Amino acid sequence: MTLTSKPLAAILFVILFGGIMFSTAMGWWQTESTKEAATYTEGEFAGQANPADIRGSYTFGDVEKNFGISPDVLAQAFNVQTDNPAAFAAKELETIYAESEFEIGTASVRLFVAFYNGLPLDLSTDMYLPQSGADLLKARTLTPDQLAYLEAHTIPNATADPSAPTVAPAQTAEPAPEAESTERAVKGKTTFQEVLDWGVPQAVIEQIMGVAMPNPLTKIKDFCAEQGLDFETIKVALQAEVDKAK
Amino acid sequence: MKIFGKRLFRPRSIWIRKIVQWFFFLLIALIAVNHTLVESGGGIPFLSTASLHALCPFGGVVTIYQYLTVGTFVQKIHESAFVLMIIGFVLAFLFGPVFCGWVCPLGTVQEWVAKLGKKFFKRRYNHFVPVKLDNILRYARYLVLAWVVYVTATSGTLIFAEYDPYFALFNFWTSEVAIGGLVILGATLVLSLFVERPWCKYACPYGAVLGITNLFRVFKIKRAESTCKADGACSILCPMNIPVDSVKTVRDHQCISCLECTSEAICPVAKTVVFTTGAVK
Repeated sequence: MTLTSKPLAAILFVILFGGIMFSTAMGWWQTESTKEAATYTEGEFAGQANPADIRGSYTFGDVEKNFGISPDVLAQAFNVQTDNPAAFAAKELETIYAESEFEIGTASVRLFVAFYNGLPLDLSTDMYLPQSGADLLKARTLTPDQLAYLEAHTIPNATADPSAPTVAPAQTAEPAPEAESTERAVKGKTTFQEVLDWGVPQAVIEQIMGVAMPNPLTKIKDFCAEQGLDFETIKVALQAEVDKAK
Repeated sequence: MKIFGKRLFRPRSIWIRKIVQWFFFLLIALIAVNHTLVESGGGIPFLSTASLHALCPFGGVVTIYQYLTVGTFVQKIHESAFVLMIIGFVLAFLFGPVFCGWVCPLGTVQEWVAKLGKKFFKRRYNHFVPVKLDNILRYARYLVLAWVVYVTATSGTLIFAEYDPYFALFNFWTSEVAIGGLVILGATLVLSLFVERPWCKYACPYGAVLGITNLFRVFKIKRAESTCKADGACSILCPMNIPVDSVKTVRDHQCISCLECTSEAICPVAKTVVFTTGAVK
């Protein structure tokens, strides 16, 4: 069988658009996130939504649909002051907790949801909660391991910035302690320059990163993403060096 | 019109391919613009508002590892990319990398720039790179493919978007575009003045994947030695510099199934270079 250009063009259109139409009919054609969290594939919780799949684009309303936790509870847990908590996206926590000693963001929502619903979550990385979230969780049933993790990962003085974008100003947040701004903590917006300034030599940084250090003004988190490095692991190693250099 | 098996008036190019290329370029460009308009509250009715990531079959390829191991897609990749990946594989299994030669808008843009290059350099165009070096560089796209798959699998993010000239081409007006992508797009367009489809030849990871199907595709470019006049036109005009006149069946991993070498286009003898499943003499 020999094909010329016109039949080939026709077949191309039929297969391409036919395939798209078929997948649409089957419900497979999704061009944006369905905001349905992946489920556990094995074990006691198989088939239930897995909080590890919560993305930064998930709103508190999406979290409610997947995990049944009211947006009001989530807003209370994270001190989010807004008229419409259901529309608040998890990734916005990083903005309103920009001054926090440790990062509070999407991972914090995953932690809160997992503990609130008694679901398993990989705790090998550090995820932090503000005191308000920890207090809500302590009223629930937690295992000793979960309680211990919570104790070690609660930031008592973390305060949400009411002036941050996307959050309607409401109540006045607690002022952050003065010492917090001078804390030497490696977090999402820390640059290489800051770590150098805190006394960690470039050679040590490069040894931890495994690659040459870029422009010192680069944010470590951004660089890790570019290089495919795990920021959480790098952060812990750098923090240890920062603590040593104090 | 044919006399003694030879055509007196033959087209120099596969015109319908140009129309198909224009169609997909405009379609993707309009969808990309619509995506921006929707984010700012506007939008063109009845037109998809999908992001480019959702409409790129290569997104499906890079998310395979995460999908198999974790059951989720890489950030920004959706089911549609997976569907397009499968459609792309079906097409490639049947016809080879027809997606590259007929659909990919970045390939189309490179061909448009190539027209300028051909005007400037005439027959020297697309023959600047020394053959030995060119033969080695042709495999660089497999290194790019391996790197993209590795960094995506280990990071769970679409790091390639930072360097992707295709994404930059249809997002240069948005804040989503990365400098790396713009630089590579610019370099690709400049190089296209000297070399036809430089991105496809040397760097495209999706082309690398699809190129493998040239080894076993159902429809193959075949040359009938009994009627071939050995004028070399098919090889000289091949955008991918494949020596069509020296093989009976084109299995080169770089063929893009554009059909420009066939008797329907540049080959002056009827039924001598054909796209077929059967044997030719």
